[in-house]
Amino acid sequence: MKRLRSSLLIAPSAALIFLFIVLPYITVLVMSFRAPAEGQPYGEGFSLEGYTHFFNESYYAMSLPQTMFLGLLTTLVCLVLAYPVALHIAFASKRWRGFLYGIVLSPLLVGIVVRSYGWTILLGNSGVINSTLRNMGLIQKPLPLMYNDFGVVLALAHVFLPFMVLPLLSALQAMDPAITQAARSLGASRFTIFRRVTFPVSMPGVQSGCILVFVLAISSYVTPALVGGMRVKTTTLLVVDALIDQFQWPFGSAMALILAVSAGIVVLIFARLTRMKWT
Amino acid sequence: MTEVSLLSLVKSYGKSIALKGISLSVGHGEFVSLLGPSGCGKSTTLKCIAGFEDISDGKILFDNTDISRRLPEQRDIGMVFQSYALFPHMTVAQNLAFGLEMRRVPKSEIATRVARAMEMVQLTPYAERFPKALSGGQQQRVALARALVIEPAILLLDEPLANLDAKLRDEMRGFIRDLQKRVGITTIYVTHDQGEAMTMSDRVVVMFDGEIAQAAPPEEVYNHPASERVARFVGNANILDLAVTGKDAAGSDLALPGGGALRVDSPAPWANGRLRVMARPEQIALTDPGAGHLGGEISKRYFSGGHVEYHVDTQCGPLVVLGPTTQTVAEGQTVGLAFDPARLWPIPDPKAAAQ
Repeated sequence: MKRLRSSLLIAPSAALIFLFIVLPYITVLVMSFRAPAEGQPYGEGFSLEGYTHFFNESYYAMSLPQTMFLGLLTTLVCLVLAYPVALHIAFASKRWRGFLYGIVLSPLLVGIVVRSYGWTILLGNSGVINSTLRNMGLIQKPLPLMYNDFGVVLALAHVFLPFMVLPLLSALQAMDPAITQAARSLGASRFTIFRRVTFPVSMPGVQSGCILVFVLAISSYVTPALVGGMRVKTTTLLVVDALIDQFQWPFGSAMALILAVSAGIVVLIFARLTRMKWT
Repeated sequence: MTEVSLLSLVKSYGKSIALKGISLSVGHGEFVSLLGPSGCGKSTTLKCIAGFEDISDGKILFDNTDISRRLPEQRDIGMVFQSYALFPHMTVAQNLAFGLEMRRVPKSEIATRVARAMEMVQLTPYAERFPKALSGGQQQRVALARALVIEPAILLLDEPLANLDAKLRDEMRGFIRDLQKRVGITTIYVTHDQGEAMTMSDRVVVMFDGEIAQAAPPEEVYNHPASERVARFVGNANILDLAVTGKDAAGSDLALPGGGALRVDSPAPWANGRLRVMARPEQIALTDPGAGHLGGEISKRYFSGGHVEYHVDTQCGPLVVLGPTTQTVAEGQTVGLAFDPARLWPIPDPKAAAQ
């Protein structure tokens, strides 16, 4: 009786998870093995063509390392930029903390399309930066600031920075301030304390921030599409292209799954490398 | 072993003054407690000694060397915090080794010293555990060992037992005191718990409002408090405001309401011709009604195992008396109270002291 009642309690969430997570995955999985067809989303019977097509065509296959590279680089840039910010906010006075918190979160209030479009205005060949430099006579030809990895990583890092700051901040704030004092009393310099105490103790935050930003970066569509201008081929862009423009559902599904599994492997390796025995 | 001297230590935060000129000297191997309510400046004093707070004025000397301007990492102190402040990502052994690594002690020596320190606090089997897997008392012992393994000049303890439960706290008191005696290190201990300060210290420094109210051995502070406030903060105090009827070189005669008379070895009476004397609850005996120095009625009776606490309404106000459990007196009963004149303590007049 008790069992029945507790299973009734989880029923709504279980139903939601099944309906909107498990079922779509199964649908995508099944779709990825469907046979391709001309003039319609998919044909009769099953085949492995979705997968073989991806790995045989370097145009598609190379998008995977390219996506992972962009994701990892964005994560690294975010970590390097976010850590000092988080550190500063964590040790700021209470009054300042709320204000700085607001500043970090404020970009999330502006839609991702607007923010990415903003970067195209700044980085374009006749954008703000290039035209200013040209007017000052510093350059003759515009600098290649967008439609390349540089622009995409820059914009992605900007868009996802809050997702790195927040976990870092909560990890740093959870830290007992007395432990840095203890380290000092034991004779450690400020740099040594950061290297041997503060940073390692904030690892749970580093870990979740990195995973969050990496997953968001490799699956993002709007920013690479706008700032990369279809010249930076990420797997996500190709998935959307296959599903919507080319109308090839099996191929699109196969690519989506390949991306998801690859991302899962990268995350697992990362989690394994940064495993903490002490938490 | 190091001698610590605080010379007119002042610490101010803008307009508010946390320490108003503290002067204190702690001798070689002495165990001194800073005792006081929260906000009295005891923790600030400790932080100044540790170097976590800059001092506004005055000097801090370790063995006649002025260390006031040194960074905490250059002061050679061992510190134990209320929250233990163990490094959560390091094992017990790594926590202990940290300070030695900072001092560039050779690896082989680190291993032997860490092993010795773990033995000292009886934690050898836990060397490879992380702090999270230890109980509060064990964590506190690690913190103690971590502070002592570097063989610092002085040991500072900031309310180290505040987070432990009562029974463990009593055990740790004895443990810390024994260890301190064995190592012979000069120790400054901050607490708001007067029992802790009494049982552990060679000398208790009572602080109020950023000033030292009294610095003396525990018995002295308890029996001969320097002021009424000290009397009331350290243990339970009955304070009687009595008229002085006569006085000679040896002492003063005091009149009690209801006709009783007392004689105390006394300094000068207070400016208003009266004297305030303190009697601890266990220094007053319950007698038959009519006998003793003062009459009263029992308003409350609390049995607490080892003794019975009586609250007695008298003409001198409510008094607290501790009686033996063999004596049974009920609430509402009239009793007599007998004082021990030799143990009555006339509290010095603050106005006379100021002059």
